[in-house]
Amino acid sequence: MPSGNDEQQRILRARAAALARVPEESGAEGDRIEIVEFSLASERYAIESAYIGAVHPLKELTPLPCTPSFVLGVINLRGQILSIIDLREFFDLPERGVSGLSKVIVLRSDSMEFGLLADAVIEARWIPRSTLRPALPTLTDVREEYLLGVTQERLVVLDGGRILSDRGFVVHEEV
Amino acid sequence: MVDKDAAFLQRLLATFRVEAEEHLQNISTGLDGLKRAASAAELADIVEVVFREAHSLKGAARSVNLADIESLCQAMEGVFAAMKRHELEFGAELFELLQQASDYLGRFLPTAEGRLGAGDKALLDELVVQLEGVTRHESFGLGVPNTKTAPGSDSRPAAADPREVPAHRTPLGDELPPASEPQASLPVMAETVRVSTARLHSLLLQSEELLFAKSAAAERVAHLQEVVSSFQAWEKEWARILPAVRQIRTASHETPSGEREVSPSKVSGAMLDVSGFLAWNREFIKTLGNRHVTEIKAAAHDSRTVDGMVNSLLADMKKVLMFPFSTLLEILPKIVRELSRDNGKEADLAVSGEGIEIDRRILEELKDPLVHLIRNCIDHGIEKPEQRIVKAKPRRGLISVDVIPGDNRVEVVITDDGAGIALERVRAAVLKLGTHSREKVAELSDRELLPFVFQSGVTTSPIITEISGRGLGLAIVREKVEKLGGTISLESRSDAGVRFRMVLPLTLATFHGVLVRVGEDVFVIPTMHVERTVRLKRTGIKTVENRETVQLKGEAVSLARLADVLRLSPSQPVAAPSELIQVVLLNAAGTRIAFLVDEVLNEQEVLLKKLGRQLSRVRNVAGATITGNGRVIPVLSVPDLLKSAVKFSAASSPAAGASEKVQAIVERRSVLVAEDSITTRTLLQNILGTAGYDVVTAVDGLDAFSKLKSREFDIVVSDVEMPRMNGFELTTRIRADKHFADLPVVLVTALESREDRERGIDAGASAYIVKKDFDQSNLLDMIKRLV
Repeated sequence: MPSGNDEQQRILRARAAALARVPEESGAEGDRIEIVEFSLASERYAIESAYIGAVHPLKELTPLPCTPSFVLGVINLRGQILSIIDLREFFDLPERGVSGLSKVIVLRSDSMEFGLLADAVIEARWIPRSTLRPALPTLTDVREEYLLGVTQERLVVLDGGRILSDRGFVVHEEV
Repeated sequence: MVDKDAAFLQRLLATFRVEAEEHLQNISTGLDGLKRAASAAELADIVEVVFREAHSLKGAARSVNLADIESLCQAMEGVFAAMKRHELEFGAELFELLQQASDYLGRFLPTAEGRLGAGDKALLDELVVQLEGVTRHESFGLGVPNTKTAPGSDSRPAAADPREVPAHRTPLGDELPPASEPQASLPVMAETVRVSTARLHSLLLQSEELLFAKSAAAERVAHLQEVVSSFQAWEKEWARILPAVRQIRTASHETPSGEREVSPSKVSGAMLDVSGFLAWNREFIKTLGNRHVTEIKAAAHDSRTVDGMVNSLLADMKKVLMFPFSTLLEILPKIVRELSRDNGKEADLAVSGEGIEIDRRILEELKDPLVHLIRNCIDHGIEKPEQRIVKAKPRRGLISVDVIPGDNRVEVVITDDGAGIALERVRAAVLKLGTHSREKVAELSDRELLPFVFQSGVTTSPIITEISGRGLGLAIVREKVEKLGGTISLESRSDAGVRFRMVLPLTLATFHGVLVRVGEDVFVIPTMHVERTVRLKRTGIKTVENRETVQLKGEAVSLARLADVLRLSPSQPVAAPSELIQVVLLNAAGTRIAFLVDEVLNEQEVLLKKLGRQLSRVRNVAGATITGNGRVIPVLSVPDLLKSAVKFSAASSPAAGASEKVQAIVERRSVLVAEDSITTRTLLQNILGTAGYDVVTAVDGLDAFSKLKSREFDIVVSDVEMPRMNGFELTTRIRADKHFADLPVVLVTALESREDRERGIDAGASAYIVKKDFDQSNLLDMIKRLV
């Protein structure tokens, strides 16, 4: 069987090499961005994965009193507290409460961190940046504000950096 | 008895050695610094440091009866004092002498037990004589060789003559002949290690996280215990079915003996198999159950072990971070001295309880508030000597700082015997604030009025600015103290003085909390602020002047419903409200309010966690904690709750159901919203739109200003920070235009900034909402008041 083993090794090596090869597409490497597509109130959105720290299933959500309505509450994320924001409030989407299948997309930058509620996370994929086009006229102005672009299949890609740096999300209230 | 004393002395000496090492290190560093000091100012700073260190070391030595060490320190202190007075200059020789003294101490201290070998004693006396000589003759160190300096120099080892040694640092041991005891055997001073506080804090935090492991383990055991009852249910079921199983078994054994059925052996064989399996199955599960019980025992044991380990680790960890108040209080005498001198006043400082220990992190945070309060006492409390004499008070004022230990907390009381706070000026300032009507302000009793001194808005008034010194205000003091989980209150008596009382937790992160339930929500209330939890008859609620009160120990206390104060959505009313109500009496900064809750669950140790960056500050919520099963429970802020309760009762009593009225009144009023953040803009638009206002939005100040000219508006609500033209500029532009002179302008901003508030008022804003208060009623009330 030694020859058979060698043969297997050869095939496996060839397959590994094929898998390791980065698929070539038109356009330069730097022009591609990775996006994570998710659904929210039966609409589909995506966010550049560079701003996504993690995705978790939404388990126990503790509502916090005296917070604006866009703050759904807080969760325990590996021993740390993470606040959860509901974008539906800003996107004029129907609110259906928190369904059992919800996901939390953790947005993260050096100075800010919070979770976005999503109904489901669909997939992560690479797209050429050049395929992103400016806003559609049908978008409300809030979505336009946070828009990175719209893909060829008309998927709205949100600008994670802008969402994270918007001071409007920061809650700082005194009695 | 003697043994006890000896043991005590031993402990004291051990403490002394650690402390001495610290001082000595600083002196040694200081001496090096003196040699390198480039400017006179730098030199003076270092001299000040080494002087203080020598002084402290002297005091420490005295307290453990090390008279010889004390005399050497005294001699060193004398030299530094002379340098402070510029009577002595620092030169190479002086450096050598001081270095020798410091090295001597370094060698002696590790073994310090009050006994000196004859040789050591001689050397010490020699050093003292030399140092004192230096101080007396004043010329030493000026670079002129001075033979008079060391009268006993002949008795001293020749090589140690400072004048012959080059001005570089040489370890003393190289220069001196061996002392009477062999030096090699002396222990090296390494009983303490310097660790960065950041590292220590991270260590503490990680240890505190173990609390979670501790409660998780306990919870796991409880869950396992529940499984036992499932096994019991199974056992019962088996017992019930057992006769039937037996029957089948016997039947299938009997059948083979002549039945007419076709292949009866097959059926009975299968039956036999099944009944055999059932028997095996029963045994198997029984064994499993027994094994489970054993595992529970093991788990419970583990849980107890973890519990014990975590507790002792945390206790030790906390001890590491506990520091005596003296480390904070020792800076005060100098401050009092300097401030009274600068203000042309005379004041003494009395300190007590400085040995009490508290979390170092609290001490650090406490420095600014404490200094601020002391500054306040001197600036505004203590009168000038001539005034005091007129008032028949002693010429010198007295400020006392007393640290009083309590149960799991500590009280810091700062008292002065000055003029007290001019209450009528506070009243005027409160009126100026505009949050209370003239009648209401006039009604406020002196006791009710005093807390306003802490209110941030009050600082902007010139009167209060005077009280608070640098215009920073006591608001910051309160903010800091509350951030630490403490409270501050004050008493003032005219011409008798002011007393500030700070109540602080002993440790920062972990504390005891009472878990309460309201509807389906559970909250933690820090035990420190819980005076009592009581069950009362529902009929005990009496309404006095439109406010609900309850009788507690014969005293009427205001009652607030926690659900209302937190604005929780009303839960479904239970079938019949019970006869008894559960009340938690909260106390902070002298205010007491009873809060109605549905249930008091238990009390436990909790670890406070921040709510994350997005929730920078939430009203009434100080943070959250995570329970053993991973559940997040909000921790309430008692100072906030008390304020909210007062506000709530004020808002609800005269005009209940105000929100409906708002809608009717404002039907056609129009609001111009200037806000660059789309989020905030949308929210404001929603809130105002829902309330019936006609809303027009602008993306920045410039946009707003041009829109203002296009049509009439009743009010402008503007953000502060905006591109092109910010809120201040917009307000100034509006005020500068005579058409808009009376147009109300409300400035709204996300983060609080005192300067912003003051700038806003300067620019002519009508109101300033320091928070992004999307709580509709607040913003709407404000607008309603202005239009």
